[in-house]
Amino acid sequence: MIAWGAAHISVAGILAAIIIAGSVGSTLYWMLTPPASYVQKIAKKAETELAEMVGSLIVAFSPEIDSSHMVALAVKLARGEKSEVLALYIIEVPYTLPPDATMPAEERIALDVLGAAETIANKNNVAIRTETIKTRSTKQAVLDVAKREQANLIMLGSFREGKYTGAPLSRIIEEITADAKCDVLIGVEGKHGTLLLSDESVQSNPQPV
Amino acid sequence: MATKSRANPELRRTVTPWGSFSWGYSDVGADIFVGLGLVLAAAAGASNVAFLFAGVVYVCIGLAYTELAATYPVAGGGQYFVMRGLGDIFGFIAGWAVLLDFTIDVTLFAWTSVDYSSQLLPSLTNSIHPWVHFVAVFALVMGLCLLNVVGVRESTAFNGVVSALDVLSESLILCLGFLFAFRPSLLIHAMQFSWPSPYQLMLGTSLAIISFVGLESISQAAQETQRPASIIPRTSVALILTILIFALAYSNLALGMQPWHPITDAHGHHLAFWQMFPNSPDNQGKAVALLAAQVPYYGALAALYVPVLGAILLLISSNSGVFGSSRIAYAMSSSNLLPAIFQRVHRRFRTPAISIVFFSSIAVIELVFAAVPGLFPAAASFYARFFRGENGLDFLADLYAFGAATSYSFVFLGLIGLRLTDPLSPRKFKIPLNIPMRFRGERVEFPIVAVIGFVGIFSILLFTLRTHVLGRIFGPSWLLLGVLLYLAYRRYRRLPVLQSRQRDWRNEQTEILRRSGELELMDEYLANLKESDQRRAAGSSGA
Repeated sequence: MIAWGAAHISVAGILAAIIIAGSVGSTLYWMLTPPASYVQKIAKKAETELAEMVGSLIVAFSPEIDSSHMVALAVKLARGEKSEVLALYIIEVPYTLPPDATMPAEERIALDVLGAAETIANKNNVAIRTETIKTRSTKQAVLDVAKREQANLIMLGSFREGKYTGAPLSRIIEEITADAKCDVLIGVEGKHGTLLLSDESVQSNPQPV
Repeated sequence: MATKSRANPELRRTVTPWGSFSWGYSDVGADIFVGLGLVLAAAAGASNVAFLFAGVVYVCIGLAYTELAATYPVAGGGQYFVMRGLGDIFGFIAGWAVLLDFTIDVTLFAWTSVDYSSQLLPSLTNSIHPWVHFVAVFALVMGLCLLNVVGVRESTAFNGVVSALDVLSESLILCLGFLFAFRPSLLIHAMQFSWPSPYQLMLGTSLAIISFVGLESISQAAQETQRPASIIPRTSVALILTILIFALAYSNLALGMQPWHPITDAHGHHLAFWQMFPNSPDNQGKAVALLAAQVPYYGALAALYVPVLGAILLLISSNSGVFGSSRIAYAMSSSNLLPAIFQRVHRRFRTPAISIVFFSSIAVIELVFAAVPGLFPAAASFYARFFRGENGLDFLADLYAFGAATSYSFVFLGLIGLRLTDPLSPRKFKIPLNIPMRFRGERVEFPIVAVIGFVGIFSILLFTLRTHVLGRIFGPSWLLLGVLLYLAYRRYRRLPVLQSRQRDWRNEQTEILRRSGELELMDEYLANLKESDQRRAAGSSGA
């Protein structure tokens, strides 16, 4: 027994204090770390895959690829995973013009689209880069940039305007999807489709003929 | 044409492991704030032994609840397990005893919450200003009733924060207390020379059990807990161990404590710390705060915050009595054990207002009965003559111990019954020490620990009836009144009076497991049923 000021320190007291702290601490730690269930393991795997998927993210635009509605989603994904977004606008130069031909109308649209993407990203505090590329082939340009950036995910929006060509989501989108070496996410706005509409909603909102 | 289907709303499973622990802790954790002073006053030098005996029984109770709540994760708690294992009438008796406990819980914890506050606000001291004390407790009970009627409840997050603070605080008090103020010679001296009479030891043991009441809360929140069959065993075992460590540590520290500041009696004689409690109801109501203030150095800080933390934790526990009673009554009413009026939900507030007001009124009646001797000196002589002078905290603690011991006794019997009648339900957690045997053609495991636990808790029930004058009168009266009401209700509704209603437990169990998200257990249960049916079919065709 040692008297230290007002304190009386004993071996039994020290042992008791250590046992109490150790047993309470270890009990609570054991409680808070239960083994994961099968469902939780699946969920964890999916979350890991998502984190890898959005590590480097490209949102591609072109006159045939309208991805404006995908930017907000891309930014939300990027913010959650703290990754970087590249907004890419492709201007396809026809063979009748030289490869570096000036195309003021298309370039103006590109500025608007990429400016809107930047605004959304800045508002959400997400790092974004923008790039405009003139190319003969939209598909090849997207794939080349994806390779250069080592992208994990390419996000594309579709009008479904090409449904009568045998490629319902447009041929360019289907080719990119088929040849890309990374994941591709295609977003089709509901208003352009009919598959999700129930009979009831079709009746209550008749489409113009 | 497409058809629209709307799923029935179910309770969201948002309670995490810590959330589940804190639901239980905010109820059981508060008990030591009440029980410590009462046990030290009754059992003196054998307080640690009283806590040890009650603690062993409590471990058995905890293991039983853990197995049952993990196997049947429904919001009914003890009464559901007993109803399923033993039948409707026993389910009712267990539930009715729990209801007594919950109403006492409301008053007892509001009372001690005010006692703890009196450490900082002396005008709330019961012996000096009984009317102020009474009005404060009454206001707390009415306030909690009102808050629950309008649907304001403390959140899981709030419970979690208070529980975390309290676990940290109590661990600090105990560790620093043992480190700086524990003298083994004082503990040995107290146990040698202040050993109580057998009667006092029985009284102390029956009071010690109130430090372990409230495990019910974890099983009641089972329906909102994530993966209940996996999480509840962990949170329950952690809660059992934490509370047991605290109770044993507090009682040993209190007996062997060298106070920081000298404690003297009216004649100036020095007293040991635990001697502050006999014959001092004021001190009994705030034992942890008094102990914390006597820890050298740390006591200066603890004296300021422990009364506040204790008062908050006790108030949360009191609140759990208000909504717990309405929940139990709702579950009992759903099972046709109580009239449907207890299921009625207020149109505007969407809460079981009638149930809340009814049981809060009973809590107020109990409060008045407990406070009368302090408020009217003439009544004190009546209590002294007929109830051995028991009043206030004694009365509330008597009934609390009686209700807990009764309901726990039935839970053990319910567990044994379910092991025999429902061996096919998968048990992710099973109490150890079982005897394998065959019952009605099925392989079952008879739980030895449940028998030990039943003997332990039944002996505490007998101690309670032997030593608590008020508990002996009012506890059985409560049960008798309840059984009479139950019989009248069942006869009125033309339901089996002494028998149980027919229920499809197989489908109900499958649905319980599906709703709780325990899909692997559901598959296992269905496979067990199929195998059992095939075995029976083969047996009958062979015969």
